[in-house]
Formats: sequence, C-alpha cells, structure tokens
Amino acid sequence: MTMTSPTSTSPEAVATTAAASAVLARGLRKEFGRTVAVADVDLDVPAGAVLGVLGPNGSGKTTMIRMLLGLCRPTAGSVSLLGEPMPDGAGQVLPRVGALVEGPGFHPFLSGRENLLRLAAFEPLVPRRTAPAVVDDALARVGLTGAARRAYRGYSLGMKQRLGLAAALLVPRDLVVLDEPTNGLDPAGTRDVRAIIAELRAAGSTVLVSSHLLAEVEATCTHVAVLQAGTVVAQGELSTLLEGDLPMLEVSTPEVEAALAALRGAGVPARATAHGVEAELLGTAAPVVLETLVRAGVPVHEARRRRTGLEELFAALTEEGRP
Amino acid sequence: MTAVVPSPSAPRVRPAPLLSMVRSELRWVFRRPRNLVGLGLLSLLPVVFGVGIALDDGPNSGGGGGDSSLISQVAGNGLVLPVAALSMAIFLLLPLAVSIVAADALAGESSHGTLRGLLLAPVGRLRLVVVKVAGVLALAVVAVLLIALVGVVTGLIVVGDAGGTTLSLSGTELSLPAVLARVALAAAWTVGQLCAIGAIALAVSSFTEHPLVVLAVSVGWLVISTVLTAIPALDWLWPMLLPTGWPAMADVLRDPVPLGELAQSTYRAGCYVLIGLGLTFARMLTRDA
Repeated sequence: MTMTSPTSTSPEAVATTAAASAVLARGLRKEFGRTVAVADVDLDVPAGAVLGVLGPNGSGKTTMIRMLLGLCRPTAGSVSLLGEPMPDGAGQVLPRVGALVEGPGFHPFLSGRENLLRLAAFEPLVPRRTAPAVVDDALARVGLTGAARRAYRGYSLGMKQRLGLAAALLVPRDLVVLDEPTNGLDPAGTRDVRAIIAELRAAGSTVLVSSHLLAEVEATCTHVAVLQAGTVVAQGELSTLLEGDLPMLEVSTPEVEAALAALRGAGVPARATAHGVEAELLGTAAPVVLETLVRAGVPVHEARRRRTGLEELFAALTEEGRP
Repeated sequence: MTAVVPSPSAPRVRPAPLLSMVRSELRWVFRRPRNLVGLGLLSLLPVVFGVGIALDDGPNSGGGGGDSSLISQVAGNGLVLPVAALSMAIFLLLPLAVSIVAADALAGESSHGTLRGLLLAPVGRLRLVVVKVAGVLALAVVAVLLIALVGVVTGLIVVGDAGGTTLSLSGTELSLPAVLARVALAAAWTVGQLCAIGAIALAVSSFTEHPLVVLAVSVGWLVISTVLTAIPALDWLWPMLLPTGWPAMADVLRDPVPLGELAQSTYRAGCYVLIGLGLTFARMLTRDA
C-alpha cells in the first residue's frame, strides 16, 4: 500500500461507519483455484458519493463488484450494502441497487423492450400494473425509444450498453453499480452516461463506477479507489488523491539564478526547470513564495500550482508493483 | 427519484409475486423461435406417421423404432395413433425437446449473462429454480398434449376408426370416451417420464454455462440407458434405467389396463425427479454468477 485507506478496520469502526457507508467491504478476498483475483480489499463508499474504481485490465475490478453484489461468494471477508450484510441480505438490498456488471446481458431473440419487461417481472419494486410504463420511461432515459421494439440481436454495441443502463435504472435506486459503463459508447453516449451519473448523484444515490479510463473517473467521480493486482493501492476523495504528491509551485521567469538565490535565502527548497523554477510548498504557502520572488526583484510571468494528474498517479501506482 | 439514506428501519421489501415471474418465464419459453419450431415439428410426427400407415397398410410400415405391435394396431384403429406416436417420441424427440428448454433455463441464461440480471433483480435462488421448473414442465406438458391431440385428430381423419369402436390390444372393443381416457392416461404418464429427464437436465444445466453440454449429457445418458436395457447380462441394472419402463405405454391400450408397470416406471421417474431437483437446488444456492 502506498497510501493507507482513510478508515480503520477494527470491528467497532465497522459498526459505526456502516450506517453512513453505502458500500463497506472488509478483507474481501476471492481465489479461483490458485489464482488470487482479489486480495484482502477494504472498501468504503460514503452514502451519496460517486466512487470510481480504477484499475488496469485484470486488476480484479469486476470480481470485486460481483462479490459486492452477492453474485459470487468471497473466499474470505465481509460485505455490507446499504447497511445490510451480503449476500444474506440480498433480497432486501438488491431491489434498491441497480447494476450493470460485465457488460449487458440480454436475450437476442427478444426486443429491447421485451427484455426489460422480462426483468421487470422479476423486480420487486416495479408495480405489476405499471411495468410497461416503467420500462418505456427507462428506455427513453437512455435514448432507446426508437429501437425499443427491435430485436436485441440487431443492436449496436452502444445500444446494447444503453439497454444495460436502462435495466440498472428501471426503478429509482439508492445505489447504482456500473461496471465499465462507457464501453463501446460514442462520445455522445459517454456524455449521456456522465449526465446520468450526475443526475443520480443529485438525487442522492450512491454510484460505484469502474473504469480503466482515467479521464472518465476524473470527470465524474468524487471518490477514487485504485486497484492493482487485486489490491486497493489507493483510496479516498478525488481532490485529496489528486494533490497527494508533494505540492509544488511552478514559476515562469527568465531570471532563474536570481529566483533560486532568493528562494534559498528564504529557506524554500527550489530547483530550476525549463522555463523557470519549481518551489516546494512544504511548510510554505504559495503567496509567501511569490512575495519573496517579487521583493527580490525577480520578474514573475506566471505561477501555478502543479496538480498531479490522476493519470500520473495511476501510472505511478500501477507501474510500481510490476516486475 | 428520491434521495434515500440507508437506514436499518427501511420497510421490508417483498419479492415479486411468483405468479408474474412464472408468467414471464412461460412467455419467454413459448416465444423463443427455436422452441416453437421444435413444437411444430413434434406435432407433425403423428401426421407423418398416420399418413404413412394410411398409404401402406402393411403391418410393419412404421419403421424407426417404437412398439411394433402398437404400430400394426394403428392400421384400421385410428385412435391408437396418438399412443403409438407418443411411444415413438418418448425414446428421443420428447426428451430432446425437454432438454433443450432445461439447457436454456440455467446454462443458457448464464451464457447470455442474463442469469446475473435475474439474480440482481433480485430473484431468490430457490425461487429461480421453481420458476425454471415451471418453464420446463410447461413445455413437456404442451409438447405431449400437442402430439396427443394432433394424433387423435389425424387418427380419426386419416386412418379412421372401425365403426366408432377401437380394438384394444387384448382384443376387446373400446368406446370412444374410453379410448380418449386411455390416451389421456398415456399423455399423463409420458409427462411423468419427461419430468425425470427435465430434472436431470436442469441439474446438469445448473453446473455449466454451455447449453450444448446439457444436451450432450442428457441425450447421451438416454441413448446409453436404452442400449443397456438391451443387454441381458446387465439385467440387474434395468430397474434403475428410465427406458426400462417405456414399453409399458402400450399397456394403456390393454383391457383392463395393467397398472403395475406403468406405476413402477412413474415411481422410478419420481426418484429421478427428486435426485435431479435436489442437485439443482443445492448447486444454485452456491453457484457463482
């Protein structure tokens, strides 16, 4: 672990955080034969958050999600969804959970609408009488009204993905789990998914979305968990993780030597870069650095705080463990 | 959309009514083009059979298995046709039809990724098996009824009856209602046998995500069982094999009906149903989806 998870793992902590956490997993582990797909994952998704689960292909994202939803049994560890233990509480919790896992799964010979009607018949929270209306609403929400009565076998990859989303959003959900929701979607589709996630969040739902695309997570999520080889290597709020590195201030100036001398004189660690200097903001605030430079007569063209792109963080975290 | 914060005091959610799940399952089974084509072909069997016999009045014109004494009886005895058609279909065609639906029920759903959707709805795993059993059972009943009904109609039209009465295998004359009752008995008994095959196929279906494996196991097991019933040295095995009891279907056309062999084969089928469903329930409770 390069970063410790923000929660402790003591039983008391589990009890107190369970009420505020939409998803709480402790020591989650799944072995397939001798392969360890997920190794001792602790996950904590606060209610109302949008958690992005980020990881390269094969990092255990989907297996973890399947365990969270009770689709497969963990080799070890415990899961609680919306305050109920899984998989024992599945009958109570899953009606309030919408999920798109491992891509959309539907019958090719039925139309999109018929596929959803079939699922609606099995959904506890869909009123029997209004099921067709509920299905039509869900189809409209993902922009599939036009293709609703065409056989699923003729759908494009993006349309299949949209139908999967519609199934997850059949009724208002407290928790929505989307496993790689933008796979196969065109830019408009990706935008739609972002809009849907934003809507869900505005409505107070918790969203767990997995992706191997960093931009996707950066654009939609409030929280991030980074998975690598079955373990969570970083977890927390997006803003915290983005600035998790040493904070730096980049200053563009033609007079590098003067700037370095002034900063060192003020006790601020700094080094030269291509266009100026880079000052560490450890124990110093950005205004202090700028004031020091200006007082020393150094011309400052531009100053900006360097954000660690999630991409850098992601690359750094996932490259680390590789042989 | 309502904002809901997880609370332990949320009202208990009641599962979707079993009836609407079963209705949806039946719609799924009977809307599938492949199943409809299969049922259509099955209903052609008595027609082809009847026409063939009407064209060639020879005693052994049926060909392709079945009880030759039954087939010879069909000529001039139209109402024997449905029973003869059932006794032919039970050796392969009906078990195949039932196995296809059982293969789709769990292995097929799993391979399409739709099993996940159902479990996430959520459907309790035991309820899901109940719904699937209903689907398989419904197909077995419809397939048998189709053969029986088309058999009766074809028998009356194409072959005709000997002046309103039918000759039983014992040589006595049976009235029309009596014959129809016996056809119904044959149909019910056939459904019982198919339940055994359906239960075993469902059990296999719950262990795999390849529908073809289910068909291969189911048909392979049936063929091997049938072959074993023809090997006298293995007669100690016969009481355990389903096809051992299948020639008993001809008994419904004897007068009076000897129920011994019919009852025993139904009891045997019941044992298979218990084993098959037991395995299916046990497996589905722990299956990863």
